[in-house]
Amino acid sequence: MIKRWRDASKKRYRRWIDWRLPPVKKVVLDNPKLFILPTSAGFVFLGLLVLLWLIATNFENNLIFAFTFLLAALFIVSVFHTFLNLLGLQVEGGKTTAGFVGQFIEFELLLTQAGKRYRHSIELSCPGVDRLVVSLKGRELKPVYLAIPVLNRGWFTPERITLKSVYPLGLLKVWTYVKFDCSALVYPRPLDSPLPPQMPMGEGDTYINRGDGGEDFIGLEKYRPGESLRHVAWKQYAREQGLQTKHYADAIDDKFWLDWDALPGLDIEARLSRLCGWVLRCCESSQTYGLRLPGVELAPNSGRSHRDAVLRELALYSDNRDVGTEFSGAKSRADKG
Amino acid sequence: MRPRWQIPRDCLLWLLSSVIIAIGLHLSHLPPWVAVAGVVAILWQVQVYRERWSQPGRLIKWTLAAISFGGLLLYYGRLTGLEPMVALLISAYVLKLLEIHHKRDALIAIYLAYLTIIIQSLFSQTIISTLLAFLALLPVTAALVAMYSDSEISRPSTALRKGLVMSLQAIPLMLVMFLVMPRIGSLWAVPRHNSASIGVSDSMSPGDLSSLGRSGDVAFRVEFAGPIPVQRDLYWRGLVFSGFDGRRWQQEGSWGYSDGGLLQWTSLPLETWDKVIVRRGDPLSYRVTMEATNSPWVFALSTPQSPSPDLALSRDFRLVNRIPVVSKFQYGVQSWLDYQLEPDSLSAWRRKVELAIPAGFNPRTVEIAQQWRRETPDPAALVNRLLGLFNQSFIYTLRPPRLGKHSVDEFLWETKRGFCEFYASSFVFFMRAAGVPARVVVGYQGGERHPTENYLLVHQYDAHAWAEIWIQGKGWLRVDPTAAVAPERIENNFADLFADQEGFLSESPFALERMRHVNWLNTLRLKLDSLDYSWAKWVLGYENVQNDFLLDLLGKLNPERIALFLLLAGGIALLPVLSMLYLNREKNTQDELDRLYLQFCVRLEKIGLGRKEGEGVRHFAQRVVELAPSLEEQVWSLSQLYEKARYAESDSVSAESILTDNVRKGDIAFFKAELKMFNPSAKAVNKGSFG
Repeated sequence: MIKRWRDASKKRYRRWIDWRLPPVKKVVLDNPKLFILPTSAGFVFLGLLVLLWLIATNFENNLIFAFTFLLAALFIVSVFHTFLNLLGLQVEGGKTTAGFVGQFIEFELLLTQAGKRYRHSIELSCPGVDRLVVSLKGRELKPVYLAIPVLNRGWFTPERITLKSVYPLGLLKVWTYVKFDCSALVYPRPLDSPLPPQMPMGEGDTYINRGDGGEDFIGLEKYRPGESLRHVAWKQYAREQGLQTKHYADAIDDKFWLDWDALPGLDIEARLSRLCGWVLRCCESSQTYGLRLPGVELAPNSGRSHRDAVLRELALYSDNRDVGTEFSGAKSRADKG
Repeated sequence: MRPRWQIPRDCLLWLLSSVIIAIGLHLSHLPPWVAVAGVVAILWQVQVYRERWSQPGRLIKWTLAAISFGGLLLYYGRLTGLEPMVALLISAYVLKLLEIHHKRDALIAIYLAYLTIIIQSLFSQTIISTLLAFLALLPVTAALVAMYSDSEISRPSTALRKGLVMSLQAIPLMLVMFLVMPRIGSLWAVPRHNSASIGVSDSMSPGDLSSLGRSGDVAFRVEFAGPIPVQRDLYWRGLVFSGFDGRRWQQEGSWGYSDGGLLQWTSLPLETWDKVIVRRGDPLSYRVTMEATNSPWVFALSTPQSPSPDLALSRDFRLVNRIPVVSKFQYGVQSWLDYQLEPDSLSAWRRKVELAIPAGFNPRTVEIAQQWRRETPDPAALVNRLLGLFNQSFIYTLRPPRLGKHSVDEFLWETKRGFCEFYASSFVFFMRAAGVPARVVVGYQGGERHPTENYLLVHQYDAHAWAEIWIQGKGWLRVDPTAAVAPERIENNFADLFADQEGFLSESPFALERMRHVNWLNTLRLKLDSLDYSWAKWVLGYENVQNDFLLDLLGKLNPERIALFLLLAGGIALLPVLSMLYLNREKNTQDELDRLYLQFCVRLEKIGLGRKEGEGVRHFAQRVVELAPSLEEQVWSLSQLYEKARYAESDSVSAESILTDNVRKGDIAFFKAELKMFNPSAKAVNKGSFG
């Protein structure tokens, strides 16, 4: 009974918080966003004040009264100091990376401030995440990374992040919740299994950009950091056309189709997990591959962007492609970004 | 396994400093080994922090706790009473240092430090020790700050500074609370500070008061509502001694009265014996601030009455306090200097008490007294005859010779040298032997007038003993035999009389009193004394003046006014903190830039070059320059500065935006400076169509 009532009130509180602090991209913590209450140490301190007051009253000692009032005043003053530790802090949701179910998604927060004050020991926490403590040394940009474990594939929106601070005296805690309007893609849990047997292609020669290896030159592309310097087109560089790499390709005959139908008799998540495992395997061995899901077909290719596209399809796959306005909403937001 | 919690270094540093200070403040009333234990605990904790030693195990801790508990029990013989309890608290505090495993333990240690430092005010209430206690609180607050600071961006001094700033900001608020918060008085009996009484004691034997004459400490201070009465009227009655055992005078027989209670409390209806007091004329009002005596009796001029609910008038017409005066104590008194006490009759048993002389003592005095009584039956004449004897051949001295068994005989007929108690004692003995009821009164006589403040300073060396005799129809009459020997003692200040005599202030070798002849030192002494007096009046005894003070301040005392005052004064007291909040707000540079640019436009508009709605900065500048070529340089430079500052702005957080922010601020300042010099006149404008 009490538990139900407590759950209900918790839910109501959450709803009220949702209404009061809607999701944002960036937030400057100001008065209406901050909540402040005594900590348990603060309540013990108040108990100490009561004890001192009793001593002062019973011994009729005005000096003890004075010191009791000094500590009480210190408590009141610390309300402002505690408040100040978060007031004016700016928090912005930064980049998020995609991740796999069962792993962590790294969620970047950028903390900064307009003023020059030092902000001590701000605690960031989020359900399921070890709390982080950061401090700001004057005007600086402080990136904070929250590693959030993810359990479901699809679009992941982080829970409300709690920012809390008890500095300087630990008697009061000031806190706020920040819900960021950003999301990350969660791929299915990869299941390592041997690749399916190769299927006959019969579509003739298709040049597949492989970057390295290969025999036939297919063109120049802008140099990307990490690429081998062996393929840099130095001639073009000398002509001040910037760093470019020569790309070669082979006529492909090892095209792979990662096919939904190749995994009969498994449920959706198991199939997606296997497909996901295959994708990773193919990437490892620089294999070219394509994806066939009911209603989706991605032509065989390789490279990072292809991998991302394939994984994205796996992450967002659902029986009914039109379900979930939430998904499509999140998706369109992500597409913009 | 979770790593063991470790106390932050700065926090430990301040915590240990506060332990040292706290123990130092209590050193005077602690067993020395508690201090030693404190030092050991500190060293141990330091070694634990340096990971040299491990924290003591459960067995060691409990053994230590048992040892200190037993030690205290042995040292004090009891655990009730203030000192043992405080010592117990301090030992617990010291032992707590040995088991800081969690943040919670450190917090408890810090809170105990607050408590320990603050309760030292139960023992010492001087200005100095209060200041020390305030200073001692700073490292405790610093320890608390350091506990929650990020040690990577702070140093020990940072925490101390933060603690200091907060404490200073708290002081005005503390003052407001101190002034307004009501004092409701003791809720239940508490163990009191237990120590030997100071000043006059509840018995008197030869030499007691002359030893007080060697002390320059202040006994009490008196502030009169009107002018201070003349010196010879200032007999501060403290105790009445009716019992004599041959050597020692003490109180006696006060429970034999049948006409009402022994004590007349202000709050209770008048006892029937009140009618034996005849009060004439207007009373003298004054306020006494007493130093601690650890005794319940207080001092007043005869015949007193006090409005204070804590004071009672006793059956022998002196004031007593409900509890021993263990700290500075203030009370208001009204005294009728024109009075008669029990003029009509003295009950038979009382007469017996006031006439009793121990058998086998001072046979010679008894014989002479009886002989004198036969020759001079009138008691008043008898008194004069004895005083005449004193006046002729006696010497008043702080260094009287020692007396044997028959002290009165020896003094009256042999040594003839003595201090006031010798005279009072032998006078009363003589009177009793002659059949006149008499008793000894002990208290203080006279006092030093403060030259600038309107109060009287009564020192321990003003302690005095005199006599009261009872005469039918007149009641109890004060007779001071000392006045017959050394009238200047009564007429003038005691210190002036004795300043040169050996023995005066010999127990206060460093007292400024000894330097009375050095003018500036004397002034300094009196200045310090008035400071001490204000401290006693406005801080230590504030509850006595609180009502009057608040009445003066607010005009009328009602809840609304007090609430209003609290709000207003509290608000003012919080101004330093609130200003900090305001100053913290970042000036919005964007707004400032726009405001400046608007000023620029207004100045141009004054000479007829208004900016069109929606016109770009660059277009506007171009148009202005076409029409007023003489302004070209200034207008372009201002417009460019504006654009540059505006362009540098970025809405999103990025490292660059922070880097350029200072540059931008510089641009804005530059814009401001340029704008100051930009005062276009209408002459600069070419006549032509514009707008």
